[in-house]
Amino acid sequence: MSETKTTEGWEPKIVAIVCNWCTYAGADLAGISRIQYPPNVRIVRVPCTGRINPFYVVKALQEGADGVLVSGCHPGECHYITGNLHARRKFAMLKNFLSYIGLEEDRTIFTWVSASEGERFAQVIKGVTEKVRALGPANKLVKKIA
Amino acid sequence: MENIEKKLREEAKLLLAEKRVDVIIGYEKGTLPFTATPCFITDPENAEKLVWNACCVQNLAKFVHDVISQHKESQKRVKPEDRKKKVVGVVGRGCATRSIVLHLQEKQYDRGDVVIIGVPCTGYIDGKKLAVQIGGEEVLEGSVEGDQVKVKTASGEKSITLKDVLADNCLTCRFNNPIISDIMIGENAPPMDPDHEYDEVGAFENLSTEERWAYFTKEMGKCIRCYACRQVCPSCYCKVCFVEQSQPRWVGIGADETDTQVFQLMRLFHMVGRCVDCGSCSAVCPMGVDLRKFLKKLDKDGFDLFGNRAGSSMDDPPPLSTYKENDKQDFIFDP
Repeated sequence: MSETKTTEGWEPKIVAIVCNWCTYAGADLAGISRIQYPPNVRIVRVPCTGRINPFYVVKALQEGADGVLVSGCHPGECHYITGNLHARRKFAMLKNFLSYIGLEEDRTIFTWVSASEGERFAQVIKGVTEKVRALGPANKLVKKIA
Repeated sequence: MENIEKKLREEAKLLLAEKRVDVIIGYEKGTLPFTATPCFITDPENAEKLVWNACCVQNLAKFVHDVISQHKESQKRVKPEDRKKKVVGVVGRGCATRSIVLHLQEKQYDRGDVVIIGVPCTGYIDGKKLAVQIGGEEVLEGSVEGDQVKVKTASGEKSITLKDVLADNCLTCRFNNPIISDIMIGENAPPMDPDHEYDEVGAFENLSTEERWAYFTKEMGKCIRCYACRQVCPSCYCKVCFVEQSQPRWVGIGADETDTQVFQLMRLFHMVGRCVDCGSCSAVCPMGVDLRKFLKKLDKDGFDLFGNRAGSSMDDPPPLSTYKENDKQDFIFDP
């Protein structure tokens, strides 16, 4: 916590944990449609948002991510029927809890992007990058690597 | 209290004598004043050892789970036709029965594996509060008489109001009578003060982000990672806990402060909809980490968002094991 990263020349690093069936395909569509979005996001593909252990989010923050985005299918459109509905409950609790212990609320962001929403995917990444950029580099819960 | 104790011993003796249970898990007198130790009674004659008073702290559901799962594990090596059933009797106060309800909902054992001797509860003494009241002196003798706690130390005798030393979770307890029981001993206890259950959480929520983070890091800085909180928690029954898992290694084992924070954060988060606020973790913590402040928030959110109170009813499943189509989703980011 003592050393603070300089914000000069700093670019936010965002981990996006996305589901294979909707958001990943949405990101693909954004790509093939040549829609521009900030290059600050690192995508991790998982089968379903229901498969995401909340620990992934915490671990990403600990390992130095400035923001974590979790995105899956819209409610009712899950490839596994109810995976995202279970995930929604989990992440509602997680988001509240992380902000309760004093992490900035905008570091963890949850959203839905379907496979046909390439434009929305670009908008989400833009929005998230702006939010995280406004917060500055993460300095809470971040493990210092010796 | 004496009547309950007497009746408890009678019932326990009867259960063991009639072989309706193989073991009774209860409390016996501890070796120090104001302590009671969990005990396992298999001989009807030993039922006289059982006590029930304001010094009984630990949640006994932990041992119910331990005994049954160890027994089941041992039966795996026995031929199917020779397998024996083990029935565990347990002295259950409100929070212990809530934990048992959770175990049953999580399919850890069957209702028939456990016989619950329900006891009404009026709260237990928080050792840390008592130590503060008597200035950290060693207790030589002590007793609880009505609503007064009489303590004898080297510097003399002192009388303290029981309410001043009751644990925080007991003062605002909503379920101080058993949720489920096979045998109920005594009358239901009068309700505590559940209306002020979330006062502390509410006050904490109103602090600024930085103040909350400062408090979190201060509390977690005390933690020495002895894992006593995990050992005593009835909801922590994973065969391999994530802190000991090495493939992948989730949490570092060094002295790094963020590792401790992440350990506590994730252990706390595993308690979503599963913490019954029995206070065992805070009671056993040697460093006095304020775990309850964070656990109570999960409890509050669980109720606010999903209308669930952990283990309060057999028909109310743990919130993360189910969903509703119209669950709140105002936290979802919409660009």
